[in-house]
Amino acid sequence: MKNSSVVDLLLLLLLAITVLTTPAFSDLVLSKVERRIDVTSQIARVTKTLKVVNSGSESVSEFTLTFPKFLGNNLAYLTVSHSEGKGKAKRSLANLSVEEANPKGMPDSVSFYTVALPKPLSKGDTLTLEVVAAFTNVLQPFPEKISQRDIHLVMLQESAQYLSPYAVESQSLSVKLPHNARIESYTKLENTKVQGSEIKYGPYKNLAQYSYAPIVVHFESKAAFAVAEKLVREIEVSHWGNVQVTEHYNLVHRGAQLKGEFSRLEYQDRPNPQGVSAFRHLLARLPPRAHSIYYRDDIGNISTSQMKSDSKKTEVLIEPRFPLFGGWKTFFTIGYGLPLSDFLFASEGKRFLDISFGSPMLDLVTEKLIVQVVLPEGSKDISVTTPFAVKQSHEIKYSHLDIAGRPVVVLEKNNVVPDHNQNIQVYYKFSNINLLSEPLMLITGFFVLFITCIIYTRADFSISKSSAAYLAKLQWDEVLATVQEVQNIIQKCLAAHDKLEASLRDLSRTGDIQTCKAARKSTDSSLKDLSKELRPLLASLQSFPSASQISPKVEELVAKERELQEKLMAKHTTVVEGYEKKSSGRDIENRIASQQQKIIALRQEVEDLLEFIDEI
Amino acid sequence: MTAKPIASPIPVAMYPTLSVFTLAIGLVITAFFFIYEATSSRKNRSLGMELTTAAVASVFLGFGSLFLLLASGVYV
Repeated sequence: MKNSSVVDLLLLLLLAITVLTTPAFSDLVLSKVERRIDVTSQIARVTKTLKVVNSGSESVSEFTLTFPKFLGNNLAYLTVSHSEGKGKAKRSLANLSVEEANPKGMPDSVSFYTVALPKPLSKGDTLTLEVVAAFTNVLQPFPEKISQRDIHLVMLQESAQYLSPYAVESQSLSVKLPHNARIESYTKLENTKVQGSEIKYGPYKNLAQYSYAPIVVHFESKAAFAVAEKLVREIEVSHWGNVQVTEHYNLVHRGAQLKGEFSRLEYQDRPNPQGVSAFRHLLARLPPRAHSIYYRDDIGNISTSQMKSDSKKTEVLIEPRFPLFGGWKTFFTIGYGLPLSDFLFASEGKRFLDISFGSPMLDLVTEKLIVQVVLPEGSKDISVTTPFAVKQSHEIKYSHLDIAGRPVVVLEKNNVVPDHNQNIQVYYKFSNINLLSEPLMLITGFFVLFITCIIYTRADFSISKSSAAYLAKLQWDEVLATVQEVQNIIQKCLAAHDKLEASLRDLSRTGDIQTCKAARKSTDSSLKDLSKELRPLLASLQSFPSASQISPKVEELVAKERELQEKLMAKHTTVVEGYEKKSSGRDIENRIASQQQKIIALRQEVEDLLEFIDEI
Repeated sequence: MTAKPIASPIPVAMYPTLSVFTLAIGLVITAFFFIYEATSSRKNRSLGMELTTAAVASVFLGFGSLFLLLASGVYV
């Protein structure tokens, strides 16, 4: 059976290690080791509390952390911090730097990590270290192929005794299984007990270096083994007020593969639905004030999603088009917009974008994560700060209203777990003047359109310059211009008439005859000038054959205007004489009554004619 | 070292209002331009008037179309 062959392998490993024992690594002794492995989801999270005592004579500034190789290869996330105080007063201080190490002469089947201690540990001192490590792919589905009806059983292999290059005085291990999980089998060593859904091994006392006791726990897991084979996360920053995040997922179910057929009838049977190994929903936790969220794939929009938002977060529950069984794949795109002032900050002359790195989905393991941060055109001095190692590169993206393209920082990381979903910072320099280049481009575009119109109306597109139609058009243009000038002169004449009438009114008010006569003289001279200007225009209008319809009307207009002029002059003279003779107001009015009527009628006709000519 | 959040130079909530007003003014000035083109005769046209009208209209239309793009979600 496969179970026993694996255990055999581990025993061989143990022998190999004891054969190749090397002298003491250093004089540190672990006085207490508490390990806790949490396998409630698809990721195995190991939390270790190590009490380190320096029992040697020299002060030590490094600590070596080890994992068996089959775990170390799948290590996704590792942080080590040191804490002070006991129980309630325990405080976790800063994370220490951890580096992978390959010390010479050490067995090949162990992974080593060197932790730099905050200050050298002198003789007799103790230090408490807290290690958090997350492993992917260590919960192996066993059996590897199941049918739709079977439950999902997985297997965890670990060591009950902490494998370390230092001697351990006391240690214990507890494995936390999913709630109400069915435990198929587990290795029973001494001091093993099951409490609820936890299996406790230990405490074991006074173990030598590199002591190792392999255990295997076989249990049922109801967690969703959702793994994104590839996730491309594009974060586009626009200084007009928006950060747009677009995520493309290629999702696969990495649990036990489905063998046999999928029966929808059995899947939807109530009260006994068959298909516990599949998962249907994925929960994504987005930042608060996310807007315009869409969930689509290549076919189109996927409507099976729900959103719930409050002031701290926006939760989106998405349901792919079909439930995912072991080995099944799906792909989709999620996009959302975020307000700019929540994520973009200014400090010391530079701007920086503070945004989360990994996928917002809970409990999703990403095998290959590519984050593309697209900064606006004109950004300079771009640098990225991440709390863990990523691979960086630069690209250019051409988008709306771009001249030179937008700079893109591409960050790649493999084997990403939700513990990596911390904030990264992208620093760059940008001045707000560059924002103006976009409206300027649009303004230039519209201006070019207008210039084209201007050129079109001014340019001469005729093919032949001597055709009858072309010449007729030219002549008609001239006729129109002349008529317009005639109109202007007539308007000026009418204005002179108005001045005369105004002087008459002044006379009736003030009785000042001299001013009235002076006004009459000036009006006379201006009217003479205007009629002089009118004569050549009329002559030229006569000469145009195409103006045959307009010219009689224009002549009529001029004649009427002249009549009006004469009548007005006569009236003026009468009124002035009346004032000189000091006759009563009623007398004057009687004399000019008939003249006044004619004047009014003529004025109306002149204005009608002007309107008529205008409309041609 | 405190980090000050950066926001857009114009409040985002004003984009739709601004786009309507600037586009309306731009279209009115475009109308003036085309009416001038249509009613003036060849001799009376003045290039200066045409160019100024075109420039003012294109400024308003340019900003109007930018705010229209931003208001409809295309954050250029």
